[in-house]
Parts: sequence; structure tokens; C-alpha cells
Amino acid sequence: MWIELAHFATIIALLLALLQIATPIIGVGIQRPVWIRVARQSSYVVTLLLTLASAGLVVSFLNHDFSVKYVAEHASRSLPTFYLVTALWGGHEGSLLFWAWLLSLFTTIAVWRHWSTHASSIPWILSVLGTVISGFLILVLFLSSPFERLTNPPFDGRDLNPLLQDPGMVFHPPFLYIGYVGFAIPFAFAIAALINGRITDEWILATRRWTLFSWAMLTTGIIFGAYWAYYELGWGGYWAWDPVENASFMPWLIATAFFHSVMVQERRRMFKIWNLFLIITTFALSLLGTFLVRSGVLSSVHAFASDPGRGVYILIFMAIILLFSFGLLVLRADRLRTEVQLESLFSLEAAFLFNNLFFIIAGLTVLLGTLYPLAVETLSSAKVTVGAPYYNKVFVPIMLGVLILMGLGPLLTWRGINESRLRSSLVKPLGVSVMGMAGCYLLGIVQPYAIIMVGLSFFALTAHLTDLGRGIARRMANAKEGILTATVTLLTRNKRRYGGFVVHFGILMMAAGFVGSGLFQEEKNLIMAPGDFTTIHHWRLTFEKIATVKGSNWEAQEAIIRVEGPQGLTMTLHPQKRDYQNQQMPTTEAAIFSGFFEDLYVVLGDAVTDNTWAFRIYRNPLVSWIWGGSGVMALGVFLSLLQGRRREVSRQ
Amino acid sequence: MKNLWKVILLVGVVTILALFALGLENDPRNIPSPLVGRPASPFSVSALDDGPPVTLESYRGRWLLVNFWGSWCISCRSEHRYLMKLARMTADRRDFAMIGVDFKDTREGGKEFLASLGDPGYRQAFDPDQKIAIDWGVYGAPETYLVDPAGIIRHKQVGPLYEGWFEKVALPIMEKKP
Repeated sequence: MWIELAHFATIIALLLALLQIATPIIGVGIQRPVWIRVARQSSYVVTLLLTLASAGLVVSFLNHDFSVKYVAEHASRSLPTFYLVTALWGGHEGSLLFWAWLLSLFTTIAVWRHWSTHASSIPWILSVLGTVISGFLILVLFLSSPFERLTNPPFDGRDLNPLLQDPGMVFHPPFLYIGYVGFAIPFAFAIAALINGRITDEWILATRRWTLFSWAMLTTGIIFGAYWAYYELGWGGYWAWDPVENASFMPWLIATAFFHSVMVQERRRMFKIWNLFLIITTFALSLLGTFLVRSGVLSSVHAFASDPGRGVYILIFMAIILLFSFGLLVLRADRLRTEVQLESLFSLEAAFLFNNLFFIIAGLTVLLGTLYPLAVETLSSAKVTVGAPYYNKVFVPIMLGVLILMGLGPLLTWRGINESRLRSSLVKPLGVSVMGMAGCYLLGIVQPYAIIMVGLSFFALTAHLTDLGRGIARRMANAKEGILTATVTLLTRNKRRYGGFVVHFGILMMAAGFVGSGLFQEEKNLIMAPGDFTTIHHWRLTFEKIATVKGSNWEAQEAIIRVEGPQGLTMTLHPQKRDYQNQQMPTTEAAIFSGFFEDLYVVLGDAVTDNTWAFRIYRNPLVSWIWGGSGVMALGVFLSLLQGRRREVSRQ
Repeated sequence: MKNLWKVILLVGVVTILALFALGLENDPRNIPSPLVGRPASPFSVSALDDGPPVTLESYRGRWLLVNFWGSWCISCRSEHRYLMKLARMTADRRDFAMIGVDFKDTREGGKEFLASLGDPGYRQAFDPDQKIAIDWGVYGAPETYLVDPAGIIRHKQVGPLYEGWFEKVALPIMEKKP
């Protein structure tokens, strides 16, 4: 019953979404605002209906209604309630519905907030977002319906893929989707600006928060994915340059370029076409990600349900949106030429320009690596894969460039800084950087990449801290405040600038984590019998015995391992091999000790003989800095989001 | 020159879209199996219905379709209707036979599956410990193999068979002279 209700609500929602595309265009054409209001109301009702539809699917899960194919394939009687609810986005069909629901919700918020402030853009925004929602709803209704019934319902469902029964995976998709979907709003504003032809900088001001918010969500989503891969997949790493990971990473790279270059447009009225290009590309890459993941065009370890019929549809949908928006950009570009020129190479503008170049090159690198296997297979039907070595070779140097720019950022000013001042402000960061590198070398670290990274990180850190310190000192002197009040007022006065600083600190922490775990991981593969012991770095691990443990829908073999570490630290680790009742594939639950400086990561493999077991043991330095750094980043974005608009936007 | 970027941008977008359009023809399930072109690993195991053992050898001289399934597999349910149809359709062909391998399953589960969804009529081997499945390189269900009269694996289909599969995939292979 619920599922039919949900199905019906989705059908009505599609009809209303189509209405939402057409009426604003007519309204603008015949100059009757009432038509535009119709579109606004339909966008609200679409949100209500899709909320109902998603709720209907969730209720079917909670009722264990296995006559619904989607429920039968993604749940079972023994699945915990928490995962029953989140199974909504546990599979292809449900996650598309969820996508559409999020987009409708964001549309409603955007229309409600910007209705009176951006009256001339609103009709086009409604139309553009209506198009995207319709595109997804057609997919949901006709090509991958979560509402399908089974004629022969099984008594019990197939259960949610055990790998997805993990908190990291519960949050990974929704954050990612919120990020993807969120970029639809600035995209719609940009298209509206292009259609109106009177391109002011207004769309950028209006969507600053949307962009930041979506970027933060996408970042968090990617990190959750990495976290899940690290804790659940049991291969000792967190990022594998898999096509599906790349699909989420590409929009991230371009979005990062976007909100840096947006600042240049705000301050200096430059990069107008460029910014439109960036936001269109960001959204295009979000769609591309959906296409890559859902069409089955690329084989990937993620192996989602794939189907060429869907692929054809998503491709056509994507082609329409891409050709329309890039075509529009090309047509309107001549109206947008700016007379403002770069005045100095030692200016913030120039730094942002290079920042953009690096991020675009990084994006292209990932795009090439992702598409190359597809191109080869299509043109010669050979199978190739592009793996980590390619990305590490090309990507790492680019990121080093980004780090250099990040360090230079606080030292530069708009329009240029004179060289002697730049030279004097370089002294301190350079000094600290050289000391850091020397310290590293003395500590016995000889890998050139590690030393360079340490140098650049210290440079950037000092540059930021010096700037912050100077600001605080100035406030203390001018306003006669204590150091604490001065710090707080400084941070809250210019939340945007210092929010950015905090994000940069987070990036530096993560960079440390990447270097530590990427260059200094130690790995050991061995077979042990109970009573055996082994050592890795300064850890001594003793395999005591194998035990059997049970969960609500799984049974596991668990190794009990006693660990003795440095400074008399002792603990017991419990790596498991789990068998879930309704699934064929056993999963590994790595046992991980996460310390401040390093992780100890133990994976239980197969039984080799009756009494011996295979183990993989990793020592991963600084991994927790990646998770911590992402938290700091989120904090920085939050601080930055608190700042309202710099200028009142003139009412249209 | 001034408008060069426009050309590059549009050509780039169109190229990527075209690549995807062509790429959709690629079948991601078409993972080249190293066993294609090699003799199928022989087996003789008890039948699901407690009849005489099912032996691969006894099908020598005919094309043989071997379908791996289990009652725990939801896609097998959706595939089953086509298997029934295919069995009916090819009942008169003397050069073609079908068998099923019910693997990683209980005898009751497999029998109940056939009782509720219909028995296509061909023999079903029972492989609870996945002995055949492992020898044949099965890593999921359903998977289907096409074995030639000489006992050589000619094709492996990962995932459910679909309406028209026999005409589109199997017949061209069977009609090609070995």
C-alpha cells in the first residue's frame, strides 16, 4: 500500500516538475507574474510529494515488505532498524529517489530565500532546477523504479550488502549527494544570469553560501568514504583512485577552483566568464559522476547495478544539459569581456589565477585517467586500468604547487605588492621552512617528497600564523584589548578570511596525514598459529586464540591478539572475519588501534591449515591527522558561512 | 584566435559525450574469463531431485548451456522465466541441451525454488559445497556458460540472461564453425 502511494506521489511530482519548467518561461514571455508563482507553488508541492515518496519507501523497509523488489534486495528481517532506514539510499533506485528529493528540497529553500531579492533570475532558476528534477524523476519512474513489486515475494530479503552495514557508509552517500545536488543551485543562478544577459556579479554573491555549503558537504562525503574504506574494506588504505572515487573528486577539484576565483570577481571584476565556466563544469562533473557510477560504462570495484538502457537515458539527459549550458556560455561570452587586466604577477589575483590553473590541471589529470580505460576499450576493445602510480606521479607535483600558493596567499595583496615588501615578509616563513626540513633530515627522514612537503607545510603554516599574529597585535594595540578578546574579535570580524585560514590549517593537517601514511606505511603478511608472535616497528603482537562471536545477522571468527607497544602500552585487538546470513561473501573487520601518531591495523585472513591463520598487519603513520584535519576544515567552513553578505544586493 | 577557447570547449564536451555514447556499447560484465576457449572442468554430482547423478561427460557431442543459480539469488528469480522459455523453445534441437547447477544452497531451498517458480524440465546438478562453481570460476549468481560439443567453454555470461539472449549471443557462437 505504502509503496503504491509513494509511486503515485512520484508520478504527480514529475507532472508538477514539468509544470515548473514550462510556466516560468511562459510567464516571462507574456509578462504575467502569476505564471511564475504557479511554478513556485509547484516546486513546493514537489518537495512535499517527494518527501512522501521517500517516506513511503522507508516505511516499506520498516514493515519488511519483501514484495517490493527494492526492499527484498536491500534488507532482511534481521537487519537492524537503523540500517533499514538508511537502506533508502543503499541501492541504485532508492538513491536516485533520494537525489531527486534533496534537489526538490534545495529548490524550495532557494526559491523561498531568493524570491524577492532576485526576481529577474527566479523564473530561470525554477525552470533549470525543474529540468534537473524531471530528468531524475523520469529515471526513477521509468528506468530504475524502486516501487516495483515482485510477483513471487521471497520470505526473507537478500539483506543490505554487509560492506554497507557500517556507520561510515551510512553517511557517505547522503553527504556526497548533498554536495552534488547543492551545486545545482549556483549552477541554476549562473544559467539564469547567462539567459538574462545582464551579467552582474550578483549571482556570485547570492550563491556564495550555497557554494561553500555544498563544497563542505562534498568534502565531508569524500572523507566519510575514505574513512569507510579504511575501517571497513580492510586493505590498509583509504583511497584507491577508483573511477567512482574519481567521480566524486573531480567536481571537488573544480569547485575548489571556483570558490577561490569567485573572490577575484567580487573584488576586481575579473574572471567573469571563467567563473561561469567553473560552476557549469562543477555541476556537469556531478552529473558525469552519476553517469559513470550508474550507467556501467566503466567497470569499477564499486560494481553498482548497471544497465545500458539507463546509461543511454542518463547520457542523453547529460548531453542536453551540457550542450545547453556550455553553448549558452559560448554565445554570451562576448558580452562579458572585462577590461580589467592583471597588474602585477605578485598579486592575489595572479596567485588565484595560478591556483585555478593547478586545480584545472589536477581535474584534467583525474578526468584523463578515468576516461582513458574507456577510450581504449571502445577503440580497441582491450582492457586496461589506470592505477595509483599514474595519479601519484602527476597529481603529487600539482598539489605541491597548490601548497606553495597556499603559503604565498597571506603574504600577497590585491593589485600587487612591491617586491621589497614581499621579500621581507618571505624571510620568516622561509626560515621556518628550512629549519623544518633540516629537522626532518636530522630525524632520519630522507625521502625527498617528504622533506619537500614538510618544508612547504611549515612555510604555509608560518605565513598564516604570522598574518594572524600581526592582526591580533594590531587589535591589541589599537583597541587596547587583551590577547584573547583580540583574537576572538579578529576572527569574528572577518569570519570569511579567517574561516579560510582555518580551512587551510585543516588542509595542512591532512597533507601531513597523506604524506605519513602514503610514504611511511609498513606492511607485514604472515601466517601464525595460536601462541606465535611477530613484530612490526615498535609493536609486538601475540596471536592468542581464535574465538567465535555472533551479531544479530552475522557470525564471525575472531582472532584475539595481545599487543605490546612502546612505553608499556598493552591492549587486545579483535580482527574478525564475518559471515552474514543472507549473503555469500564473507567480510573482514580489521582491528585498528588509532593513535595520535600512528595506527596499528590488523586484518584476519583465511585459515591456512586447521591451526594456522593468515594475517596482514599494517603500521600507518598519521592517518588520524586526515580525519582530524577534515574536522578542522569543516570548522573553518562553518566560521566562513556565518558571515553574511558583504554588500546589500540591489533589488532588481 | 580570440575565439579559439570556444571551439576547444565545445569540441571537448562533444568528444567526451561521444566517447560515452560509444562506450555504452561495451559490456562491463564482459570480463574476459581465462577459461573461455579451454576445456570445461568435468563433474559428476548428485542431482537436485535425487535422480541419477548429473555428469558433464554425458552431454559431449552437443552444445550445452550450464546455468549456475541458487535459491538465495534474487536475480535468478527474474532470469527464471527466460530459462523456462528457452528450454521450451529449444526442446526440439538435438544439438543443444541445458543443465542447471544449484550451488551453495540447501536441497529443500532449491526444490522449493523450482516448485514455486516452475521447473524448466532440464536436469539440475546439486553443488552445495561449490565444488563445480569453484572449478568453473563462478564468482556470483546467476552465471551461465556455453560449452561446445567438444567440451570447450565458448562463452561466459555474468548476470541474468535476458529476452533474446540466445539469438543475440549464443546462436552466433554456435553457428560459427569451430
